[in-house]
Amino acid sequence: MVVLSAARWVRSRLSDRFWRVQEVLKHARHFRGRKNRCYRLAVRSVRRAFVRSTKARREKKRFLRELWITRIEAASLEHGLKYPAFISNLLKSQVELNRKVLADLAIYEPKTFKSLAALAQRRRQEGFLAALGDGKEPEGIFSRIVHHH
Amino acid sequence: RYVRQLQRLQLLFSPTAADARGAREFVEEAAQDFARQHPDVVLYVSPHSGPGPAPVLRAEYLNGTVRDELIASKTSEEIVQLATKLANQSGLDIIRIRKPFHTDNPSVQGQWHPLTNKPSILTVQGPRLQPQ
Repeated sequence: MVVLSAARWVRSRLSDRFWRVQEVLKHARHFRGRKNRCYRLAVRSVRRAFVRSTKARREKKRFLRELWITRIEAASLEHGLKYPAFISNLLKSQVELNRKVLADLAIYEPKTFKSLAALAQRRRQEGFLAALGDGKEPEGIFSRIVHHH
Repeated sequence: RYVRQLQRLQLLFSPTAADARGAREFVEEAAQDFARQHPDVVLYVSPHSGPGPAPVLRAEYLNGTVRDELIASKTSEEIVQLATKLANQSGLDIIRIRKPFHTDNPSVQGQWHPLTNKPSILTVQGPRLQPQ
């Protein structure tokens, strides 16, 4: 006898439900409360956690840049310069170091950072002389621009 | 010179199981070519008779990690691709690397501490003056 359609009371039943549940619960093990044990609550929490982690990747860049700026500001204030003056004068002297590197230098290489602060201070003074003097004085040494062709 | 991190590949399968067909075809056809192309990897073929656990390709690396890959219901070409992928890997754990850099000596000039940029009178202790 050929049976062309399965009998209606035969259903296919899951045999690996345990592992499907564990796949979700393993991402919830470090949560607080019943979310780390109960599947129904864990599913919602795990999904929200993943969504938040993808969105936070954009925020992380902003957060780290803010952190670096705070550190550079603190270090340059130790040497008597404010952050906007430090950064702008470094750029005018063609020292194109980004904030991450400057923050690492301020922590691990304090003497190098001191010399960078001195460079920015010198360039600042030359800028003032060029703007206020406006006379026959020669241009400052550190104000010269190197052209790479 | 390049040292291959894969030490040995163990092919554990049962010759009568239905899902080990790809493994049997791999052993018959492609295992010798694979062994010739990768002379520094030892290939062990261990068939266990009778019904047993699922067919598995076990890779052992020089740093001790053992990685099992299921080859049930896979074709011979897929097993070859899997084996080459394992042969090109190193035995390090496959987790997220937190930082792409690492140094044992991060500071050359001495790490900053709150007294680096203060006048040295605060830290240096001179010879104690005798009471006159």
